[in-house]
Amino acid sequence: MKKEDTVKLISAEGMEFVIDKEAAMVSQTIRNMLTSPGGFAEAEHGEVTFPEISAVILEKICQYFYWSLQYSRGKETEFHIEPELTLELMMAANYLHT
Amino acid sequence: MSAQKKKAFQIEAFKHRVVVDPKYAEKTWKILEHAIHEIYNHNASGLSFEELYRNAYNMVLHKFGEKLYSGLVTTMTSHLKAISSSIEAAQGGLFLDELNRKWAEHNKAMQMIRDILMYMDRTFIPNTHKTPVHELGLNLWRDVVIHSSAVQTRLQAILLENVRRERSGEVIDRGLMRSISKMLMDLGPSVYQDDFEKHFLEVSADFYRLESQDFIESCDCGEYLKKAERRLNEEIERVSHYLDAKSEVKITNVVEKEMIENHMHRLVQMENSGLVNMIVDEKYEDLGRMYCLFRRVPNGLVLVRDVMTSYIRDTGKQLVTDPERLKDPVDFVQHLLDLKDKYDKIITSAFSNDKTFQNALNSSFEYFMNLNSRSPEFISLFVDDKLRKGLRGVTEEDVELVLDKVMMLFRYLQEKDVFEKYYKQHLAKRLLSGKTVSEDAERSLIVKLKTECGYQFTSKLEGMFTDMKTSQDTMQGFSARHGADIADGPMLSVQVLTTGSWPTQPITTCNLPAEIRGMCEKFRNYYLGTHTGRRLSWQTNMGTADLKATFGKGQKHELNVSTYQMCVLMLFNNADRLSYKEIEQPTEIPASDLKRCLQSLACVKGKNVLRKEPMSKDIADTDTFLFNDKFTSKFFKVKIGTVAAQRESEPENQETRQRVEEDRKPQIEAAIVRIMKARRVLDHNNIVAEVTKQLQSRFLPNPVVIKKRIESLIEREFLERDKGDRKLYRYLA
Repeated sequence: MKKEDTVKLISAEGMEFVIDKEAAMVSQTIRNMLTSPGGFAEAEHGEVTFPEISAVILEKICQYFYWSLQYSRGKETEFHIEPELTLELMMAANYLHT
Repeated sequence: MSAQKKKAFQIEAFKHRVVVDPKYAEKTWKILEHAIHEIYNHNASGLSFEELYRNAYNMVLHKFGEKLYSGLVTTMTSHLKAISSSIEAAQGGLFLDELNRKWAEHNKAMQMIRDILMYMDRTFIPNTHKTPVHELGLNLWRDVVIHSSAVQTRLQAILLENVRRERSGEVIDRGLMRSISKMLMDLGPSVYQDDFEKHFLEVSADFYRLESQDFIESCDCGEYLKKAERRLNEEIERVSHYLDAKSEVKITNVVEKEMIENHMHRLVQMENSGLVNMIVDEKYEDLGRMYCLFRRVPNGLVLVRDVMTSYIRDTGKQLVTDPERLKDPVDFVQHLLDLKDKYDKIITSAFSNDKTFQNALNSSFEYFMNLNSRSPEFISLFVDDKLRKGLRGVTEEDVELVLDKVMMLFRYLQEKDVFEKYYKQHLAKRLLSGKTVSEDAERSLIVKLKTECGYQFTSKLEGMFTDMKTSQDTMQGFSARHGADIADGPMLSVQVLTTGSWPTQPITTCNLPAEIRGMCEKFRNYYLGTHTGRRLSWQTNMGTADLKATFGKGQKHELNVSTYQMCVLMLFNNADRLSYKEIEQPTEIPASDLKRCLQSLACVKGKNVLRKEPMSKDIADTDTFLFNDKFTSKFFKVKIGTVAAQRESEPENQETRQRVEEDRKPQIEAAIVRIMKARRVLDHNNIVAEVTKQLQSRFLPNPVVIKKRIESLIEREFLERDKGDRKLYRYLA
């Protein structure tokens, strides 16, 4: 996998998730970060730090990105969410505009 | 550096998420404000998008949206003010460049800011009905930069100046112009219209008003139109290069109005180069240009058409009433055809086959051709000429072409029945003298007449052809029966003509020479023997004869003459000198015919087989005629022309006209009866209208004549007047 095609997402604890850009761009916010003109730091380094999102949630989010990609390509499966994560996940979704 | 800053902030934000620090909003805003400054200063690369986004996000989340928004407005405004003054400071030609560059920068900054503040754009702005960030950026640019007094007027002036320079032939930076006009469009169509287009149109109108004044004084019509066309194309091209597409209609309207509409009367009527001159000189290109340009303005084509129509009518009228022209009917019709060809060509090649122009042309021809009551006769004469000799050695297609053209003229005739009358006469002469070149062509024309006017019109003409055919058979039968008895006598060829099919001429008998009379009796007996219950009468005025004659030096000639001339010449077998009276008495040829045939025998140079005393052009009752034994000719066969198939003399013409009038009466009556039979009751005006409509394809009936026919029908009790309303007629069956 080429470096240009991936992006590193870092959680509040410093846990790093390397995922496809394509998947990350399911989030409108991340899409803007990576594509906005003028070259913000994120676009240049290919990594985004989320100081307010915990590793557990970020992991779930990454899973969601890939699931969403597949769903949009016609593979209709269920996306399971543990009830205890729901609230935080929703806040993160609002933040990421997903 | 950014890492450190980010770290410091992280702790702060995290801590204060729940407990709202009164200074929190202020601090967060400072960070964002700083970022906006950096963006405008092209220093954005070090900034963390996530951090800025998160701050804006938190501000909105913690109900500081209003502060964020108003802060944005203030910051952006102050930046734009700085930009505005830097643009104002730009020198002369650099102004547009600077403006364009700053605009590009602003656009980019605007997008970055919008991305950072996306959360605000998404939630806060729709809820509070504020202007979204991007639009806000445009509005501020418009108000602060474009509408700052210094920039506004200068921008306008420079744009218009550039257009003016380009119009006068200089090269300008079209790319830059395009960017600027696109910017104005981005700011909203109203900005483009108010700040540029409106003035642009005004200035253009002034420019073209002056220029067209100048041109019209100095150029002729064709040149002027060329220039106008070029200007028009230039404007269209200009719009496509760097103006908004919607401007095209507006600017072309300006050019059309100033350059064409305001001058169109003058252009069309321009002396020595106006429409009429173009037509005369057959300047198709100029005419085409005029058509294209005038089509763009209201009433432009109407004007062109009217002028053309009145010109055609005038020249046509001159042509048909010119006494010189009337001397030669063939030439006259040929002129009409040439004229028609010319206008057809103009309409097809220059006026893109415009239907309205074709109609105008047709109505003009109809108008002036019917001004001359002899047009039908002349057309028939033209056909006669073509079918006698004009079409010899011409291919079938060409024959068709000529005939089609003639038919076209025929269509314009109002008095088609007059044409029929003449045509019948001329056809009869052609058939009887065997002068017709091509029977196919004759038939083809009759088919055309039939499709044009119906079966009725041509039934008699067709009957004439049938008679010719049957006569041939009859003659074969006759010579088979009597071949032996008549071998050494004169040859006789008889055409039996059905009364009614052929043009009736008053039967003017003459005394045939004894030799011929005997033959005629034989034929009469033969014919009446095979066809009982018929009557034969001899039409001596329509026949021809071939005579063998020997002259003074023993040279022999075969003379082709008419029956009358034959009768006269036969007298000279027994005498060398005869007075007019001595000729008239034995032959009993009517005086006018006799004079004509003597004239062609004695007064035509090269064909004067008789001599006349005294020598003069005209024949008098006291003249004496001598056999001209000094007659010589290069040819063995000498055709002594009767003065045939020429235009009629004035009294003959009157006579034909009268006959036509007579023939019309039953037709009008028939039409009236047909109409009344269907309608039962009808008032006078309607009858006249209906009759006119029904007979239109043949002639244009005169209302007075129609009235007389109605009266006659009332007398004969076909119709009656309504007892209550005297204007109503009733049909009596």
